[in-house]
Amino acid sequence: MHLRSVRSASAFIFVLIFVLASLAYAQEAAGIISGTVTDSSGKAVAKTKVLATNKVSGQSAEAQTDFEGHYTIPNLAPGDYEVTVSEDGSKATGTATLAAGAQQTVSLTLASSQTAPPTLPSAPTPQKTEPQQNEPSLSDLGFAPAETKANPREQALLDKRTHMLKIHQRMGLITTIPMIATVITSLQAGGHKEDSATRDLHVALGSLTGDLYGITAYYAIRAPKIKGTETRGQIKFHKAMAWIHGPGMILTPILGAMAYSQKNNGEKVHGIAQAHGPVAIVTAAAFGAALVSVSFKF
Amino acid sequence: MIRKLFPCFLFLLFAVSATFAADTTWVLKQSTLTYHVSHPLHQSEGTSHAARGKGICHDGQCDFLIAVPVKTFDSGDSNRDLHMLQVTRGAEYPMVTVRTKLPESAANQSTIDADLEIQFAGQTAHYSQVPFQVTTQGNEKHITGTIPAKLSDFKIEPPSLLTMPVKNEIPIRVDMTWAPQ
Repeated sequence: MHLRSVRSASAFIFVLIFVLASLAYAQEAAGIISGTVTDSSGKAVAKTKVLATNKVSGQSAEAQTDFEGHYTIPNLAPGDYEVTVSEDGSKATGTATLAAGAQQTVSLTLASSQTAPPTLPSAPTPQKTEPQQNEPSLSDLGFAPAETKANPREQALLDKRTHMLKIHQRMGLITTIPMIATVITSLQAGGHKEDSATRDLHVALGSLTGDLYGITAYYAIRAPKIKGTETRGQIKFHKAMAWIHGPGMILTPILGAMAYSQKNNGEKVHGIAQAHGPVAIVTAAAFGAALVSVSFKF
Repeated sequence: MIRKLFPCFLFLLFAVSATFAADTTWVLKQSTLTYHVSHPLHQSEGTSHAARGKGICHDGQCDFLIAVPVKTFDSGDSNRDLHMLQVTRGAEYPMVTVRTKLPESAANQSTIDADLEIQFAGQTAHYSQVPFQVTTQGNEKHITGTIPAKLSDFKIEPPSLLTMPVKNEIPIRVDMTWAPQ
């Protein structure tokens, strides 16, 4: 009876936490506006600022074009945007409608302005123009095009990966609290102890730990993988620990339920249920080692 | 006599003029660039050996360009490197470029104070009078120094670990060997 009510409560908590976490993530599903800025002759305009303004909220974000005139403005909330660029008196405007997590391309062409002041022979060379004749340029250095070309899609993937791993990190830290409490209450919950209240508390804390652990694992598993990246360094150990605490977090509550049932029937915990404690300790130790491996440098 | 010598004189004048008018080009032969990041729990560094550079000297003035792909910096931890790539927008702005102008005579000095223009993470920052040490090895110049870069100079949000952010200062150690082309 007690076990059923504890299970129902933990199931409710799990669903509530999952829904809240999903809502928090969905609100932050950001969009991207990218494109190219050129002048009337088709030449790329480098080092110029592009501004994206949300038509409803008025919030704006900006980015600077690279040597090839490309720009990318990430982390934009869904909505309608006005995209503007101005240079030496000439201006270009575009619009974009962003859905959550979408990417829109807005390329702009700066028309030559009749009111723009003439370039005087003695005027200082503006820094935003292409390198002068005697200055080396990026193309002189012999980099492969793949090394110098912007990749907004990969940036969006990296942004999503970082966002999810931040949630994974925070949830992992939060999970340690009920996990430690579960271990502490285990001292009074098993063995020859007859205190059912402490045992129920231990079960509740263990269930909460399991729920939070599940959310933590979800964000790590679902975070985008970046192709061509070899896992190196202490992160390798962190990932390896998951092969211990992952199965452990499944096995521990199963063995715990068996032990709980035996205790409630007035029996001494016996058989495979006796492994609940050792499995739980190994699981908690692996979890702690995983946390330490990404917190400190060895 | 003067008639015989005049063509020689013209030839000599032309040769001297041609020598002074010729551009000198410097090429980056070897480089080690290392950034340093400080966090309350640990320090980390990332190193790249993939920089390429060129310097063109004309009329006593040299223009240098050094560029290095952001992806080539290796801190020894793939997770840290990917996070660095994300926070510096390295996929959108794949290259770090450094431009500087120096007098040609700087090659003969033991210390150079250079004004640097650095493009990184889609932003441009200027650093004035950054000291570099120069040693000569044959016809090559070995240059070392530290650029006092900051995350805020490039509008980079400081990454955090366990809710603690890293320091704003990210000094970049430079070790380069240049040779005339």
